Amino acid sequence: MKQTEQTWYIDLSSGRTWAEEMAFDDVSPVIGGSGRGWQILADSLPPRIDPLSPENIVILNPGVFVGTRTLGSPKLTVITKFPTIASEDRRFFTGSCTSGGRYFAIGMRQAGCDRLVILGKAERPVYLAIRDRGVEIEDAADLWGRGIDDVSIELVQREGMDAGVLAIGTAGEKLVRNALTIIDRTNSLGRGGLGAVLGSKNVKAIVARGSGGIRVANPVEYNKISNELIARAVSWPRREHWIKLGLAAGWSTFKHTQNPGMWPKDRWDKLYGEEKRLESLRAVIACASCPLSCRLRWELPGGEFGGEQGLGSPYSKSATSGQLLGIEDDRKMIHLVTEANAKTGLDYYTTMRLIDLVTRMYEQGRIPKESAGFELAREYTTYSRLYEMTAEREGIGDILADGWYRVKEEFGIDPQEYWYAGVCKGIDFIYDARPSRFHPLMMTFLTRPRPHHGGSHTRTNSRGKTLAEIREQVEHWDLSDETMTRIFSETPYSGQFNVGRYTAYMEDLMRVKNALGLCTIYTYQALVFADDMARLYSAAVGDEVGARELIARGERIGNLAKVINVRDGFSRADDQPPDVWFTPMNAPEGTIEMEDYFQTKMLSRDDLNRMLDDYYDERGWDISTGQPTKQRLREIGLQTNAGDSS
Amino acid sequence: MGDAMRVAGRLVIWAEQCRGCRSCQLACSFAKNAEYNPTQSCIRLDRDLQTEKTTPLILPLRCDLCGGQPACAQACTYGAIAFEPAAEFAIEYRCGGPGEAD
Repeated sequence: MKQTEQTWYIDLSSGRTWAEEMAFDDVSPVIGGSGRGWQILADSLPPRIDPLSPENIVILNPGVFVGTRTLGSPKLTVITKFPTIASEDRRFFTGSCTSGGRYFAIGMRQAGCDRLVILGKAERPVYLAIRDRGVEIEDAADLWGRGIDDVSIELVQREGMDAGVLAIGTAGEKLVRNALTIIDRTNSLGRGGLGAVLGSKNVKAIVARGSGGIRVANPVEYNKISNELIARAVSWPRREHWIKLGLAAGWSTFKHTQNPGMWPKDRWDKLYGEEKRLESLRAVIACASCPLSCRLRWELPGGEFGGEQGLGSPYSKSATSGQLLGIEDDRKMIHLVTEANAKTGLDYYTTMRLIDLVTRMYEQGRIPKESAGFELAREYTTYSRLYEMTAEREGIGDILADGWYRVKEEFGIDPQEYWYAGVCKGIDFIYDARPSRFHPLMMTFLTRPRPHHGGSHTRTNSRGKTLAEIREQVEHWDLSDETMTRIFSETPYSGQFNVGRYTAYMEDLMRVKNALGLCTIYTYQALVFADDMARLYSAAVGDEVGARELIARGERIGNLAKVINVRDGFSRADDQPPDVWFTPMNAPEGTIEMEDYFQTKMLSRDDLNRMLDDYYDERGWDISTGQPTKQRLREIGLQTNAGDSS
Repeated sequence: MGDAMRVAGRLVIWAEQCRGCRSCQLACSFAKNAEYNPTQSCIRLDRDLQTEKTTPLILPLRCDLCGGQPACAQACTYGAIAFEPAAEFAIEYRCGGPGEAD
């Protein structure tokens, strides 16, 4: 039995809706799911449009495996042009963001909607309802101005207890450029401003609920493979610790890799470490079909915010921001996470880093008091006030709401001046390459159109893996012998393996996982491999595909994404590492410099440029421009997109 | 399904162990119809909208214990649904977790 995919379209400007059905034979060159979504966007998004204009397009793609019982496949991938100002000349990248959840993506597929394409702009606030009979526009006058939790609960009560909700907060309504969305109240989606894009279209929320069944081509085989993979995850030796703590786990690594280097480690450990986390952690919640589970519910014990509950994952982000801002009471920092997840939809990372920047710069006299509007003292009341002002676009908050390059326009402070982790294409990094070391995930932050991990994790994200362990995972990618030799050759600039060449395939695999709907934790922990994905995909769609072919399809998707960004003027010049990576971090325990994965040498800008050369070369792109060549696009079957390149 | 056709046995729900992954619903519908459809499964998830805590509720008139090997219990990786041999068909909701004294 061959499968088909249904794409639903809604034009908010005219209210018109329509659907297209495609056989998997036709979408298989790009896998389906978000792969086909990228194809639709490449064919329909005009170049150089304003991402907050009605011309922008939002495409919601549940993965091919979503709604089946297999290993952790709850993922929704959303593709759009993001409103983060990515350069001084105000260019904007087009990218994808992903998230798990328990109800929303399954609800879409049960309604028969394998993909929703949102066009135009509604005249007044609306929400979209995906139901068995189609997608409908509903009035949201009574929902506009309300918080994410409040709206999500109300829509579940209206539609049914198994309905899923994707909602924007008040920051999305105000077009704050970093505003994200929240799915099913527990999962965040869309760093870089998906919330603002939906806000610009007057879409407050999308609710999804259906009653149909989800079929696979070979049910017996699919179920057999799924059982095998689930059993593998259940027997993972670290599972017991993981399911006890969810995303609160990993402090033993995190306290090294995401350390801003301002406090002694033992002080940070005491204030934000695992023991502290257990004081507020109340429950670990799983995404659909996940045997590991990582989403959290917390309740703050005592203090100003005592009894406050939240959903999501507050610990890592509050720990790093708490140290950057010098706040010792973790509950105060977690409270601001709760505000973001439940009400405003602000991106906590970006907002906190910008607050750190402007309060320090105020101290140094780089921001005058008349521009700030009030005394920007380095204390919690200031941070909290700036946080609210950003969400509301009030006063100086209006500048912070537009991000790093607007701060530069107003105050002449370059994003390159920021002292922790750095900024690329207008997005601040969660991890700093100095304490983390320069592992391949850091490379994807440079090379991806949207500089965020987006599900790229592999074995190399964990510290201390041996070269044999790294290689073992790649062997399941079924690459040619020549490719394996290129990846696993020592170079003087990237250490014992070739990081640039490795990263190309790591990204291809990320495209595959996103199209399938598979959570990235399973490749992070090496619990599922590319050949497993190929077996499962073959059983799901009735098309015999091996790992090498699946990765080639991932490469095709990545090239489509790149071509769209090339049209908007993105090139190698935008993929540059931030200056701060090359500036030694003066931590209390000593100086921390950026080293390669195995800590064999300090890395220079020249080293990273050579890694970028390798990355573009492995992709068959023009090394000088970092853009796909016409020849390469033709070779991988993207003839119709070849006109967009050099 | 009438009681006479039922396999004897007891499904035990350890409500506190449930994490909301919906694997039980997906496995149940797959066992019955070879497709995944939580709506057609014999399990509803009670969802507390304040905490997002879920509890599996078995629909006793639909459930036939899958002929003695309930797919939901086999699919649950968190120990929230267990199957025990018993003289009669029964569904029980218990506190705590498997292995703890009730």
